[in-house]
Amino acid sequence: MANTGFKDGVRREIRRLGSRKMYIFGMLVVPLVMAFFFLDLLSPGLPNHVPTAVVDLDHSPMSRSVTQSLSALQVIDLSERCESYDEALDRVRQGKIFGFFVIPADFEKNALSGNEPTLEYYSNMTYFVPGTLAFKGFKTVAVATSGGVVQQTLLSLGATPGQISSMVQPLSLDIYGLHNPWMSYSIYLCPSFTMATFVLMIMLMTVFSITIEIKDGTSPQWLDAAKGNIWVALASKLLPQTVIFAATGIFIQWLFFGLSHFPLNGSLGWMLVATLLAVVASQGVGVFICSVVPNPRLALSLTSLFGILSFSFTGFSFPVESMYGFLAIFSYLAPIRYWFLIYINEALNGVGLYYSRYYFVALIVLPLVACTLLGRLRRACLKPVYVP
Amino acid sequence: MCLDMNIFTKISQWSSAFGRVFRNELRLMVHDVGVLLFFVGLPLAYPIVYTLIYNPEVVRKLPVAVIDDSRTAASRDFVQRASASPSIDIYAYCNDIPEAKRLMAEKKVFGVMEIPSDYGRNIAAGEQAHVSFYSDMSLLLRYRTFVSALTDLQIEVIQDITSEKIAASGLGSLAGDMTAPIDSKSNILGDTEQGFASFVIPGIVILILQQSMLLGICLLGGTSAERRRRNGGIDPQQTVAPASATVWGRALAYTVFYFPMTVYILRFIPEMFNLPHYGNPVDYLLFILPLLLATAFMGQALNYFMKERESGFILLVFTSVMFLFLSGLTWPRYAMSDLWLWAGNCIPAVWGVEGFIRINSNSASLAEVSTAFSALWILAAVYMVAAIVATWKIDRRKSR
Repeated sequence: MANTGFKDGVRREIRRLGSRKMYIFGMLVVPLVMAFFFLDLLSPGLPNHVPTAVVDLDHSPMSRSVTQSLSALQVIDLSERCESYDEALDRVRQGKIFGFFVIPADFEKNALSGNEPTLEYYSNMTYFVPGTLAFKGFKTVAVATSGGVVQQTLLSLGATPGQISSMVQPLSLDIYGLHNPWMSYSIYLCPSFTMATFVLMIMLMTVFSITIEIKDGTSPQWLDAAKGNIWVALASKLLPQTVIFAATGIFIQWLFFGLSHFPLNGSLGWMLVATLLAVVASQGVGVFICSVVPNPRLALSLTSLFGILSFSFTGFSFPVESMYGFLAIFSYLAPIRYWFLIYINEALNGVGLYYSRYYFVALIVLPLVACTLLGRLRRACLKPVYVP
Repeated sequence: MCLDMNIFTKISQWSSAFGRVFRNELRLMVHDVGVLLFFVGLPLAYPIVYTLIYNPEVVRKLPVAVIDDSRTAASRDFVQRASASPSIDIYAYCNDIPEAKRLMAEKKVFGVMEIPSDYGRNIAAGEQAHVSFYSDMSLLLRYRTFVSALTDLQIEVIQDITSEKIAASGLGSLAGDMTAPIDSKSNILGDTEQGFASFVIPGIVILILQQSMLLGICLLGGTSAERRRRNGGIDPQQTVAPASATVWGRALAYTVFYFPMTVYILRFIPEMFNLPHYGNPVDYLLFILPLLLATAFMGQALNYFMKERESGFILLVFTSVMFLFLSGLTWPRYAMSDLWLWAGNCIPAVWGVEGFIRINSNSASLAEVSTAFSALWILAAVYMVAAIVATWKIDRRKSR
C-alpha cells in the first residue's frame, strides 16, 4: 500500500491532542460533566412540593377542610399561611411561594346557603413549571370542593349515593402521556440537552483543532504530512477525535438507557448508529464552518452562535412547526435535530426505523455537503493568514 | 515604596493608575472587533433572535385523531366541543388504535382521543362515561396544552350534564342552582398570557448580559496572554499599575460600557416585543449594577485560565446551558440538591435572573428582591478578591 501520509498524520494528531489540556477538557470533561449535571439535577423527575400558601379568611370547619385537602396534595407544599391577599402577593414577589389559594370570608355560610362564594387561586407563571403544578393542584381542590358541597346537599335532600356519583362525576377523562406516564422532566430534557451540549463541543473542538493550525502557521506542515492531500489531512486529523467522541457518545447512551433506565422501546443498535452518525455529522458541520471562515475567532464565534441557538430552534421545548419559517429552516442544518427526532421515534416511542429513514439520510448527507468546500480550506491552510 | 509617603499620595497614585487602566481598557475594547462583537453585537442581536424563536408564544391547533366507537349524538357532541377549543384540531377519524398509531408515528397527529362504544349509552343511562386521551410526550408543551384544554372541556361537559340531571331528578327545585355551589376563579400572575417568550426571555436576557461580558473579557485576557508570551512575559499594551487598580479600572470600563446595553436589553426588548414589563426601571437598573460589577470581576478572575485568544470559546460557551438550568428557569431551584443550589449561588446571573424576573414580571420592588440584591454584592466582593489574586499571579508569570 502506498504511503499516503495517513498514519503519520494520525500520529501527529494524537501527539497534538495529548499536548494540551484544553483538548481533554473540551472532548471528554465537558460532555461527561454536563451529562452528569443533567442526569443528577433532573433525577427527581418532577419538581413536586411547590412552595405555596393558603389565605384562609373564613376560619370555619369547611375552610379548614379545604386547607387540609390542599396539604394532602403531593404537587404542592403548603409552606405558608398568610393572613391577607397582600401578604401572600408579597411572598410571591419575594420568591418564597409560587402561588396561593384564597378562601373568602363567610365562605362556609355562603356555600351552604347557596350564595355561591368564589374560591380564588393565583399561580405565578413567571416560572412555568412550578406555576403550572401549583395551578393544577389548586384547580383539583377547587373542583373537588365544589363537588363535595353538591354531594352533601344532594345527600341531605335524600338522594342515594349511586345517584350522586353519576350526577357529580358523569364523565371521567383519562389523559395518558405515552411512554412517559410519570411526566418525568428527566426523560424529557436529559437526552436532548446532554446531546446538544455534546454536539456543541464536537463542533467547537473540530473547528478549534483545524483553525488553530492556521493561526499557529502549522497548517502547511499538517498538509505536508498528508502529502498535500486535504482529504487525507482531514481524515488523519479527525479520525482520532472521532474515536474519542464516539466512545464518549456511546458511554452517554449507556448513561441514558443503562444506568438511568430511560424508555427504550425500539432498538439500542439504531440509537448507537444515530449517535455515531451525529458525531460525524457534527464534525462535518465544523469542517464546513472552517472552510467558510478559515479564521479561529470567527469560525468559533459562528460555531458557538449556531450551537447555542440550536438548543432553541431544534424545538426541544417549543415545537419547530410553531416557529416562524425563516427560523425553523435552521433546524434542518443542525445534526442534533435529527438525533433528537430519531431518539423520539426509536427510543421514546419505538415506532420503527421506517419512520426515521429521512433523519438517518440527513445525518449522512450533512457531512457530505461539508466536503464541498474543501478546496477553499486547502488554500487557506497552504497560505495561513491569521486575522486576530 | 517609601515609608514616609503619606496616605494621600498613595491614594492619588492609585487613582491615577486606576484612571490610566480605565482609559487603556476602553481603548483596547473599541479597537478589537472580536470584543465588540461580544460586547455590542451579541447583546444587541441575541435577545431579538431568541424572542423571534419563541414569539409565536403558544401552541395552537394541535392535530388530534379521534376514534369514536360510540357513534352517538352524545359522542359527536363531545368531539365537536373538543374541536371548538383553540388548542385542538381534529385531524382525522380513525377506525382503530393501529390506524391512529400510524398517524402518530408519521407525526400527523400528536394526540389520540378514544371514545368507547358504551359512551352514549352511559351518558343516557346516567352512569359514569369514560373517555381516554393519549398524548405524544416528545414535547411537554404539547402535553401541557392538551391537559389544559381537555380539563376545561371536561368541566364544561360535566356541568351541563349535571345540571340536566339535577333538573330531571326534581331535586333542583329544592336546592336552587346546584351545579356550581362554589365558584372558582384562576388568576395568573406575571406571565398572564402564559406565552413561551414571555416566560423565557426575561431570564435569558440576564444570561446574555453575563455571558457576553464574560466572553469579551476572556477574549481580552487571552489576547493579552498571547502578547505576554510573544514579548518575554510582558504585555506591551498593558498599563503598569497595582493589581487592585488594574482590576477596578477594567471593571469600571466594562460596567460603563455595558450600561447602554443593559438599558436596551432590560427596558426596550420587553417593550418592543410586548413581553411582561411591569417593573420600575430605577429598581431593576439599580438591581443589575452589582450583577455587572460581579461579572466584570468574575471575568478577570477567569482570565487566569485564558491562555490564548480563543480559549473562552472552549471554556465558557457551554456554561451558558449550565447556568440557564442553575437559574431555576426550567427546573425550579427549590427542587435542586445542595450541590447544584450552591453551584448556582456562585453565579451572578442566577441571582440576576431571580431578581430581574420578579421585578420585571411580578412588579416586585428592590426591597422585595433584597436577598438576590445582597447576594450579588457579596459575589461582587468575592470575585473582586479573586480577580485581584488572579491579576497579581498573571503579572508574576513574567518573572518566571
